[in-house]
Amino acid sequence: MRTALAIGIVAVLGLMTAMPASGAEWGTLKGQFVFEGKPPIAPPAKITKDKACCGKHHVVDESLLVNPDNRGIQNIIVYLYTGSKKKVNVPVHPSFAKTANADVPLANDKCRFAPHVVLLRTTQILVISNTDPIGHNTKIDTFNNAAINYTIASGGSLKHQFKKPEKLPARVSCSIHPWMIGWVLIRDLPYMAVTDKDGKFEIKNLPVGKWTFMFWQEKAGYVDQVVVGGKKANWKIGRKRGQKEITIKAGDNDLGVIQISPALFNR
Amino acid sequence: MITSRRIPANRASEPIRLIQYAARPVDSRSDRGAFQRPVPWRLQYFIVMGGLMILVGSAAGCGTPKPQFEPNLAFMRYQKLAESRADFDDPELREQIDDIEHAVQWLFGTPDAPKLPEFDATELNHFLDLDRLKRSAGPVGGDLAEQTGGLYRQHCARCHGINGSGTGLMAGLLKPYPRDFRRGVFKFKRTSSQVPPTRQDMMRTIERGIPGTAMPSFAELSEEDRLALVQYVQYLSIRGELERFLIVEVAMELDEGERLVSWATREQNPDRFEEEVGWLREVASEPMRRWAEAASHVTHVPEPPEDWRSETSVSRGKALFFTTLTNCAACHGDTALGDGQTDDYGDWAKEFEPGKPAALRDYLALGALPPYKSQPRNLRLGVYRGGEDR
Ligand code: HEC
Ligand code: HEC
Repeated sequence: MRTALAIGIVAVLGLMTAMPASGAEWGTLKGQFVFEGKPPIAPPAKITKDKACCGKHHVVDESLLVNPDNRGIQNIIVYLYTGSKKKVNVPVHPSFAKTANADVPLANDKCRFAPHVVLLRTTQILVISNTDPIGHNTKIDTFNNAAINYTIASGGSLKHQFKKPEKLPARVSCSIHPWMIGWVLIRDLPYMAVTDKDGKFEIKNLPVGKWTFMFWQEKAGYVDQVVVGGKKANWKIGRKRGQKEITIKAGDNDLGVIQISPALFNR
Repeated sequence: MITSRRIPANRASEPIRLIQYAARPVDSRSDRGAFQRPVPWRLQYFIVMGGLMILVGSAAGCGTPKPQFEPNLAFMRYQKLAESRADFDDPELREQIDDIEHAVQWLFGTPDAPKLPEFDATELNHFLDLDRLKRSAGPVGGDLAEQTGGLYRQHCARCHGINGSGTGLMAGLLKPYPRDFRRGVFKFKRTSSQVPPTRQDMMRTIERGIPGTAMPSFAELSEEDRLALVQYVQYLSIRGELERFLIVEVAMELDEGERLVSWATREQNPDRFEEEVGWLREVASEPMRRWAEAASHVTHVPEPPEDWRSETSVSRGKALFFTTLTNCAACHGDTALGDGQTDDYGDWAKEFEPGKPAALRDYLALGALPPYKSQPRNLRLGVYRGGEDR
């Protein structure tokens, strides 16, 4: 009883500090991640199985993809992070309602996972398909949800819903073809993005206010040591790495160019 | 019975010994190596794994430290609480690790004096029986007067480790390695994927052993002893799962200067402390519930049809073996020798990031066993680890 009361008080306090001044104001967060150094060329994946089928697709190791033209880093995942200890109420823009129950595709396609990073809400349905002529299995190692491992026949597909949010992206793999790696971020909030081939990301319709964002990349783990506007920064809150508080104002909130040194990907 | 007089039931205010894990060079992993050298048998039970040699005199008492559940350092590394062994020297991190271990100890006690939390959901309070746990816990021989206790250290710890990490003294010599219970993931069970085994499943494993592996049959023990051991494995799993959860909490949820649990409040204001730590019991109830409810997730395997050995049935199976629907041949090989896919690591090994040499070195120094790739079974041997022998 007393515990419940205590939690209630925390929740109310959380609400008071987190609520934007006016619920009707929304902003966009954007930025661009670039590699500080000579862009590495993604090495070919080690095709150890089904060479006849997979060998011809020129699959590469996608753990670090840097654009040779502008050094943009692809597949950095950015999301609004609400911890599990304190309840934070984040208003959700009405525009997200229409995709709340959408199907979100994850294909075993040409011996890789397409897309490499899937952003999934707990209300949405993940549709896993296999468009290859060979068999695949899709194993997703979640932490809060029961992990899954489905065999998917050539031409087959199946649906799965993860009902609990995950703190970090979950690894997707195929046990038959170990080079096949993907990631799925499962959140209850729709505020998440992944950088494109130019290293750019954008999260639209964020409620104005001060929020914590998480920055994560599969090879670096937490993206914490960065250079913003020529200045070194360590995105970290206490022990929580890769997290940064950002005040969202109405309209555009541009983090600008964020440089990352090669060392971050070698630890 | 191990009385709680020997060790105060609640030792959370006592510092957990964080042994010099960071200081130990990789190549001095003397623990398992020590097995080749003669080690007095009674001493072996006290060599706590994770590479952390705590030698407790076999003669009881004399101020020697009692064995403790070693912290899951490898998982802390995996959760990036520390990104090198040197990071573990950070006093602030040590304090946080202490907090985690204290919290787990506060709820589940020590290797010599197990405890169980009391949950609001009363149905969870009957799943494990403290008397049975005490029969398994403690030093071999246990309570000398009553000749009980110590079953786990007598029969299991040399392979599975005091804390169930699967890195007991003998573990490094075996393949497959003994199970790490702390993930709560098991293989030989009738429940659906990702649900823990039922108590009956585990009773069967321990009675039968796992043919083709080092896991022996304990059929010669009394059923009561086996039940006590199964409950103790469940206990080690649940406390291990809680520990993993708290490690993630510390890595991802604590604000600047914030502590997982305020132990100071415990001394000063026990009532407020009770309120504060209600969530800890809540969190511990989750793995407890998964185990307690496993029996309601038993899958039904139909009896094989009368004609399962007939030519039609076998050729149908053969065709299925090679389809993309089953992928059997992809892993087990076209001739079922187990030579199809031999390039993937198992779930346990993947947590030691075998693809990253620098990280792997850390994990090994922190007590992990060298990862090996998982081996699809040679199906021509006719030896089944989980299934019935027919
Ligand atoms: C000689 C070493 C050895 C001893 C002693 C030993 N085990 Fe094991 N145990 C193993 C190995 C090896 C495995 C893993 C087998 C595998 O992965 O197929 C295992 C696996 C297990 C499992 C996991 C089964 C599953 O479904 O995944 C349980 C439970 C278990 N042991 C319990 C015990 C208990 C209880 C004792 C003491 C009574 C004990 N073991 C003693 C080596 C040992
Ligand atoms: C993704 C790879 C993979 C696929 C696909 C696969 N297996 Fe296996 N199988 C394994 C591995 C690895 C083991 C060994 C597990 C262990 O040692 O714990 C195994 C073990 C077995 C065993 C031994 C079980 C026991 O109790 O000892 C049998 C029987 C088996 N597989 C049959 C099959 C059949 C039939 C299929 C197709 C329906 C199949 N497998 C598909 C990888 C696979």
